[in-house]
Amino acid sequence: MVSVDLVAQQVINGLLFGGQLAMMAIGLTLIWGVARVLNFSHGAMFMVGGFVGFFTLGATGSAIVAVVAAVLVVFVLGYLTEVGLVRPLRDREEFGIPSMVVTLGLAFLLENGFIVWIGSQRESFPQFTDVVWNVGGIVLSAQRVFIFGVSLVALGILFYVISRTKLGLAIRAVSQDNDTALLMGVRPNRIYAMTFGISAALAGLAGVLLAPIFAVYPSVGWYPFLLSFVVVMVGGLGSVRGTLLSAIGLAIVRSISMIWVSSEMAMVILFGIMIIVLVVYPDGIGGYLE
Amino acid sequence: MTVLDTLQNGINRTTGRLKQDVRSRNGVIFMIAGVLALLAPVLVGGYTLDLVMQLIILVLVVTSWIFIAGYFGMFSFAHAALYGIGAYAAVLLAGEAGLHPLVGVLLGGVVAGILSIPIALPVLRLSGAYVGMVTLAFAEIVFRLVIVFRDVTGGPTGYTSFPALFGGNRIALYYFVFVLVGALLLVQYGLLVNRFGLVARAIREAPDAARMLGNNVPRYKLAGFIIGSSIAGVAGGLQAHTVLIISPPMIEVNRMIEFMAMGIIGGFRTISGGVFGAVIVFGLSEGLRDLGEVRLVIWSIMLIVVTIYFPNGIAGSSLDPRERLRELLDRDNWSGWPID
Repeated sequence: MVSVDLVAQQVINGLLFGGQLAMMAIGLTLIWGVARVLNFSHGAMFMVGGFVGFFTLGATGSAIVAVVAAVLVVFVLGYLTEVGLVRPLRDREEFGIPSMVVTLGLAFLLENGFIVWIGSQRESFPQFTDVVWNVGGIVLSAQRVFIFGVSLVALGILFYVISRTKLGLAIRAVSQDNDTALLMGVRPNRIYAMTFGISAALAGLAGVLLAPIFAVYPSVGWYPFLLSFVVVMVGGLGSVRGTLLSAIGLAIVRSISMIWVSSEMAMVILFGIMIIVLVVYPDGIGGYLE
Repeated sequence: MTVLDTLQNGINRTTGRLKQDVRSRNGVIFMIAGVLALLAPVLVGGYTLDLVMQLIILVLVVTSWIFIAGYFGMFSFAHAALYGIGAYAAVLLAGEAGLHPLVGVLLGGVVAGILSIPIALPVLRLSGAYVGMVTLAFAEIVFRLVIVFRDVTGGPTGYTSFPALFGGNRIALYYFVFVLVGALLLVQYGLLVNRFGLVARAIREAPDAARMLGNNVPRYKLAGFIIGSSIAGVAGGLQAHTVLIISPPMIEVNRMIEFMAMGIIGGFRTISGGVFGAVIVFGLSEGLRDLGEVRLVIWSIMLIVVTIYFPNGIAGSSLDPRERLRELLDRDNWSGWPID
């Protein structure tokens, strides 16, 4: 018999995980919404973030410096990815598939490059804190709450940038109509690269924040990528609100289903949900929320 | 026109195209490769023969992916999973149900074809990158189910307790693989140079126009998906009998990316591009085996460079540097991945 406490515990776990997932998934949805690229290297950006954090922490001993370094380095990596790999393809009529293939190639290049460079072993990352709270029978790890809080702050900053700043206005303009945006003095190429950078930075931040939980190794990004991939498909590619809701919802579904089935089967359930949603609502549920 | 007339027409056109192609540069290369492959058991033995056999099977997998992705424009990530389904079905039918391994291999293709239908149905309604997403989800489901149902599949360690084809006679196995793969390559080629292939390309380039001309687009796409997947299933069964084990790494997404890289590097709009790609990437992988993961780094870079600068793949692009430069500078060539 499954107790109410266990379900409540898993709902809370799912909620906390959903915040972290949203940070990954919103980066993915942002690139699609603005630049029409399904970025397969998003998981690799997560991995690079984890490694930059790991090395910086080893060199300086400061977690804050590590987080900042990870975000900056991965931002630059994302920016350069757009300039070097995606921009040359932009003149093509059928742009979706070649851009997917180059980012896939980059993901493989980064993953195997790291394996060649430092090997495929797991590096454990020190915990931010090992404090555990007990709230009415529900166990809360302070670290998870901290990570959740940072995710919320990062997403809050992102929403502020997109809705209130000039850069955000330009991003929204380019995502709606890049030709008209060009006429208004916005340079779409720069906006694409900035969006790629911002999105990668979110993945890098997720990578360094989750490093204490997932450890750091070259293929660490693949699982979070697949999860955020499911989230954006269900939430509707390009819909930020849909992605946010679907991240929380699916994370809770995943946690609860793990009471009865293994984590492998939980993934099967999530992918099954994704296929059903895509068949019934080809644009994801996001389009129906607006 | 009777059915026989139609068939005769098709055969005439295919042989006409074949004669024409055989006279071309690629044709000569393929003839030489075919003769070499036919003589392989005389020329080499042991491990090298196994490698040749694996390469031949790979050629079939890559071309059957191109059949779906290059000709119909359905960029499927589910191919490795269907190849694995064919492999698991083939060896489980032989090992658990006690069927003759030969029947197992052929039924493996049938099972892969049948199981491709549920994934083909959503694919028919979607286009572009969305096809990649749904098929990737399907591939992940298959991969995880293989691990979960370890009692049947052997889980992560794989499944080995199945009877070998031809009682383990490698030479007989080689010629069986050679003949079956050759026949299936000809089937794909025959379909693609005839009406079926023309409609496929029409669907890829302009689905609405293809429908307006009276073609049942969903039916063609479904048929293309099932045929390509069944062929992949047969290839999976052959591969399982070549290496005598079947395990999850055979079907994981990395494997799919390898198949894809082969198709794209060779040129994924033509069957011959798939052959070139499989030979180039497999040759590179085996030749540089001692370098470990460096091989993967090399072909990741090749995948990126080819996608950006050689949209036709290596087989489809001119390798003369001056001509290549002219092609690159001519912006008209940059609209989409071109038609062969």
